Parts: sequence; structure tokens; C-alpha cells
Amino acid sequence: MKRNELQSNLAMTVVLVSAAMLFITLFMGYAVFRSSAATWPPMGTEKVSLWLPFLSTVLIAVSSWYCYQVRLDVARKDFSAARGHLTLTTVLGVAFMLAQSGLWFHLKSTGVFVTSGIFASVMYGFTWIHAVHVVLGLFALGYLHVVLRSPTDAAMQKTINVEKFWHFLGVVWVLMFFGLFVF
Amino acid sequence: MSGGYNEIHPEPTTFWSKYIISFDHKVIAKQFLWYGIIFLGIGGLMALLIRWTLAYPGEAFPVLGHLLFPNSAGIVPPDSYAMLFTMHGTIMIFYAITPILIGAFGNYCIPLMIGARDMAFPMLNMLSFWFAFLSGLVLLASLVLPLGAAAGGWTSYPTLSTMIGSPGAGQTLWCVAIFLFGVSSTMGAVNYVTTVITLRAPGMGYFDMPLTVWGLWLTAILNAIFVPVLGAGVILLTLDRVMGTTFFLAGASATSGSGDPVLFQHVFWIFGHPEVYILILPAWGIVSDLLSFFSRKPAFGAKATALSMTAVSVLSTIVYGHHMFTTQMSPLLTQSFMTLTMTISIPSAIFFANWLGTLWKGSIRFDSPMLFSLGVVFVFGLGGLTGLHLGTVTTDLYLHDTYFVVGHFHYTMAASVLLGGYAGIYFWFPKMFGRMMNETMAKIHFWGTMIPLNGIFFGMLMVGYGGMHRRIYNPFVYDSLKRLIPINQMITISAILMGAFQIIFVINFLWSLYKGKKAPNNPWNVGTLEWTIPSPPVHHNYDVIPVVKCGPHEFGNPNLKTGRDFQYQTEELVEGPA
Repeated sequence: MKRNELQSNLAMTVVLVSAAMLFITLFMGYAVFRSSAATWPPMGTEKVSLWLPFLSTVLIAVSSWYCYQVRLDVARKDFSAARGHLTLTTVLGVAFMLAQSGLWFHLKSTGVFVTSGIFASVMYGFTWIHAVHVVLGLFALGYLHVVLRSPTDAAMQKTINVEKFWHFLGVVWVLMFFGLFVF
Repeated sequence: MSGGYNEIHPEPTTFWSKYIISFDHKVIAKQFLWYGIIFLGIGGLMALLIRWTLAYPGEAFPVLGHLLFPNSAGIVPPDSYAMLFTMHGTIMIFYAITPILIGAFGNYCIPLMIGARDMAFPMLNMLSFWFAFLSGLVLLASLVLPLGAAAGGWTSYPTLSTMIGSPGAGQTLWCVAIFLFGVSSTMGAVNYVTTVITLRAPGMGYFDMPLTVWGLWLTAILNAIFVPVLGAGVILLTLDRVMGTTFFLAGASATSGSGDPVLFQHVFWIFGHPEVYILILPAWGIVSDLLSFFSRKPAFGAKATALSMTAVSVLSTIVYGHHMFTTQMSPLLTQSFMTLTMTISIPSAIFFANWLGTLWKGSIRFDSPMLFSLGVVFVFGLGGLTGLHLGTVTTDLYLHDTYFVVGHFHYTMAASVLLGGYAGIYFWFPKMFGRMMNETMAKIHFWGTMIPLNGIFFGMLMVGYGGMHRRIYNPFVYDSLKRLIPINQMITISAILMGAFQIIFVINFLWSLYKGKKAPNNPWNVGTLEWTIPSPPVHHNYDVIPVVKCGPHEFGNPNLKTGRDFQYQTEELVEGPA
């Protein structure tokens, strides 16, 4: 591996470890809330319908798949295909955000407000924090669009880094989907 | 090597690119140094206000009192007192120690000591400083809010830090400032970790790195892992304050579930205990090197010192519970945390013994960096020993939340790190600015710091042992504590004295910047890489990347024929006749 690739991979690893620690802390807090609550969701609160979270999961999973395709395209130096797949990734990422917004409106319409207690705090707070990271991810995808328009030698490494971050966001969401909504 | 590795960046030409948004690690280091020193002054003034209140309750603070507190006739009011100790702790830890030890020395020393031309990611480095700058502005802005700054202690425990305990935007801005600072620290950590792994000069193995670099590297690793934990905590706290969530609010009706204030304490200390080591590791590294440099002897057991520091870093991640023995933790947990805490003594004792081994039979030169390093050995020894009482459940239950704790953590985190920082400044000043600092003033500064410092912090241990609680505006409303007023006055007079002697440092620093004697390339006769190049170094540090052939502590080799008592790291190790 070339030295600058090693640098880039190491730096991205440190970034992902840091971001992972942030979400691990949230999950740790969630474990405490869940295990100390007599019932979950707390009495008087209904379980959130799985439909929108499931849609979000599908959207982000498919977007991750297209993001993976972008890297394969860049490896083949097929940059026009890469740009196409990147556009699909981005559109699906935006769709994920729309689905999340739908989820927040749905929660509100069922009487679960931000101030409704710990269940609502977790539902809104955790999905917000994840959504902020997705917005950062969308900016990264936008940056990659610019990179792939006039690709240099560094394009591959940049694609790999953005891809890693995007997959990371997907993995965190899947954990949230199962942890917060399914079980 | 190919690509962007260690290339020579073009030298900046404009004032803006040279001094403000500089990508040069040396300039960024100096930015962090100034930033840290300014905040050290602000935090120090706050300390004096706190101390005055504890020694002379109800009396106006001299000179500045009427200016700062016109509505209370110059007396520090109770609510301001809470803000003062909160902001003093926050500023000293995040805005003084961190920028000086990690920001300034990390940036200055890592590339120079490993033979690199800059950090791996110069732009990220620049951003790291400006995020820290922004964070500092946000924190300072909170001081002038109508309801004042954060007042829940530097630990910001809920419910003190929720809207119930701290109405107003001060605590919210505190959270925002800490989060921004966390982003800055993480950016720094990305750079430090990557730079050390990938940009070491050819021939430099990990154990050929100076121990300063070891300390800074381990700090960066801990930073990358644990600062985001606090990040998560302050985000949730901010959501509680701004959006009305209840993560850390208890007492909501059982049907809607309840948040957990103690959870914040867990989150805080999962970060907070490694943070203690984040702060002290660079100082340990610097002292480990300087003791060898000024004893003119190889660092005793340098490899063991590096490995012990690594072991402490690992252990620091699993001992945090000792901060929470009084939170009704299960005895099984308290005993586990106590045992784990005690195990830290083993690696700590190893490198401490190595420090003494380095000094043993050395040709000690009592230059100012050495004096401050010896100061660290003394105060860290005291700080470490008093930690045993707090790590042990049975004694901690009595000492918890007393001034004994304040004395202990000031010895470890404040005194050790402050003296270590001064050692570093006196040592690298000639390399940084190309001029020598005045040695006589430095020695006066040392004794003027060291003696009162022990008056302050040993005094704190005593009043704490005598039962005085921390964070109380006027403890002497309790009759039982009235007898402690004279010791408190001794502490305060020591603090004023220590503060006054810092003026000598400031004068020396500023005077030497412009009028100091020109520094030679290697004023201390040390063999690490930064002393092989001019003082101050050129923009790209090394015209030719050096090749490392021996360790950083090669002193007093009897086979040396060069007339020097040390070897540069670029020289082949001189072996004796077989």
C-alpha cells in the first residue's frame, strides 16, 4: 500500500472509531433506559409502526449497495457509470431523510411529542443525531460528485473514504432499526 | 514513497496565510500556545477570585472586585461563585492545558521529533485550531449573558445542569463550546495518530521515538476514542435543555418513563477518567525525556516507560467507576472498580521508578527545564499517592466531595501538567522562536511557582481531610469549619504569590521573544532530531529527511570520540571494543 493511501485509511479509521464511540454511548444509554423501565414502551405509549422505519432501512441499504457500485466503477475507471451510481446513492440518501421526516411527523400525529418522556426522547433524539450524520454524509457524496467530474489519482481513495462513511451510517441505522423499533 | 508523502509545501507569502490560516504545524503550535496561555491567565484569575472568597468571605476582592461585581460592592456573589468554579475548571482543562500540552507541544514536537516535514493532514490541523478558537469564543460569550455562564461544575451533572438547575443559555453555550472543542480535539487526534504511524523518519522504530512523542501519541488515541463519549453526553444534555427531551431528567410520571441523571455521570466519567490521562500523558512523556537529557544519561528502562504509559492508557479506560462510589453503586461494582484502579499503580510505579533510575548517578544539570521536570516528579508523586485514598472505597466515602479531592486532582492534573508545560516551554522555546529565555528569571519563576503551589494544594489536602466540602460558597457558616479559616488564608496567600510569580514568566517570555540571546541549533546538547536543524527551523523543517540510526537518549557513552557526551539520532551508535 502506498504511504498516502495508508495515511488516508488510518485517518478514516480514526474518524469512524470516534463516530462509533458517539453512537455506542447512545446505545449504552438506551440499554440503561430500557433495562430500568418497568415496561417498554412505557405504559400509555404505543409501539411505533414499523412501516416507515422499514422503508428507511430499505432505502439506506439500497443506497449503500449503489455506493459500493460507485467504488467498483471507479476501480474500472468507468467514471460516467460511477457518477450515475453516485447520483442514485444520493437520491436514495435524500429519500431516507424524507422517510425520517415522515417518521417524525407520524410520531407527532400519534401524540408522541419530543417532550412526552423518555420513549419520545429516544425516538426523536437518536434519529435526529443519526440524521445529522446522514446530512454530513450527503455533503460528502456531493463532494464526491465534484471529485468524479474531473477525477485525479486520488479519486479512488476519496471514493473509498466516502463509501466507508456511508456504509457506517447504514450500519448504525440498521442497529437503530432493530434496537429501537423492532425489539 | 509516492503521492503526497512528506512533500515540501510552498512557503506562504501573505500575512494571512503565514500567521492566520497557516497550514504549518509550527505556526499552528504557536497559535495553540498563545491561545492556551491567554486562557491560563483567565482561568488563573478565576482561581484567585475563588480563593479570595474562601479565605475572606464577605470581603471585597482587592483592586478588580468593584469593577467585576459592582452590584455587590466588590464581593463575589454566591451565584457568580458557582460560575467561577465551573468556568475555572472548564477553562483550565479544555482551554489551557489541552491547547498547551496537546495543541502546542503535539503540533510542534511530533513532526520535528520524528523527522517529518509537517503533519499528515495540514489543512485538518489548521481547522482543528480554528474550531478550538470558535469554541473558546462561544465559552467566553457565555460569561456576559444576562443569567451568566454555566454554574453546574465542570462535570455539569444533571440536575444542576438541566433547565431546572441552570436556567438561561450559559449552560447550553457550555455544551456547544465543549462539543466544538471535542470536534477540534478529534481532528487533532486523527492527525497525530496518522502522522506518528506513517511519517516517522526512515530507521525510526516505535521505540526509537522520544518518549514525548509516545505520550502525545497515546493521548491522541485516547482522545479519538473517548472525547466522542462526552460529545454524546453533551448532545443529549443540550437536547434536554433546548428541545425538552428527558434523557437526564428523573421524576417524570412512571407511565411515561423516566430519564436518569446518574447516566450522565457514567457517560461523563467514561470520558472523564481517560481525560485525566489525556492531559497528563504528554507531561509524562516530556518529563521522561527531559530527565534523561539533563541527567546526561540514557532514560532508564525507556522501553518499559513507554510500555507502562501504554498500560496506563489501557487501564484508564476501565476504572471510571471510582468517581462514583457514592452513587449507590453495587458493592460488587465498587470493589471491582477499586481493584482495577489499584492496578494502575503498577505501571505508574514502573515508570516512576524509571524516572528515579534515570536520575540515579546522573551528571544532573539544573537548567530550568530540568527544575520543572523534577518539580513534576515531586508533585506527581504526591498526587499519585493521595489518589490511593480516593480509589479505595472505604476512605473515599469520607473524602468524597471534600477539598482532599480538589487537592489531589490539582496535584495530578494541574500542578504536574502546569510544571510539565513550563518544562516544555523553557526547553523548546529556543527551537520555537530562535532565542533563549532568561535562565535567572526562569529559576526565580520555578521556585516562585513550586513553593506556593505546594502551599495551595497541600493546604487543600489538609482542609479537605479536616472536613471542608468543595463547591460551597461560604463553608464557614458551619461552626465546625471555622477553625479552617487560617489554613484557607494560607492557601489563598500562596495562590496570590504563585499568581504574582507567573508575571515573571510572562515578562521573560515576551522579553525573550524580541530581546533574548540568539539560540544556537542545539543549546541543550541533546541528540533528538529537532536539534539537528536550525533554530527556528525552516518552513519545511528538513531539507533532507533524516535517517535515524540510534535512540533518542544516547548520553555518556564512554566510547564516544567526538568530544560530545551525546549522540545525534542520525549517528550510528558507537559501540565499544568487542
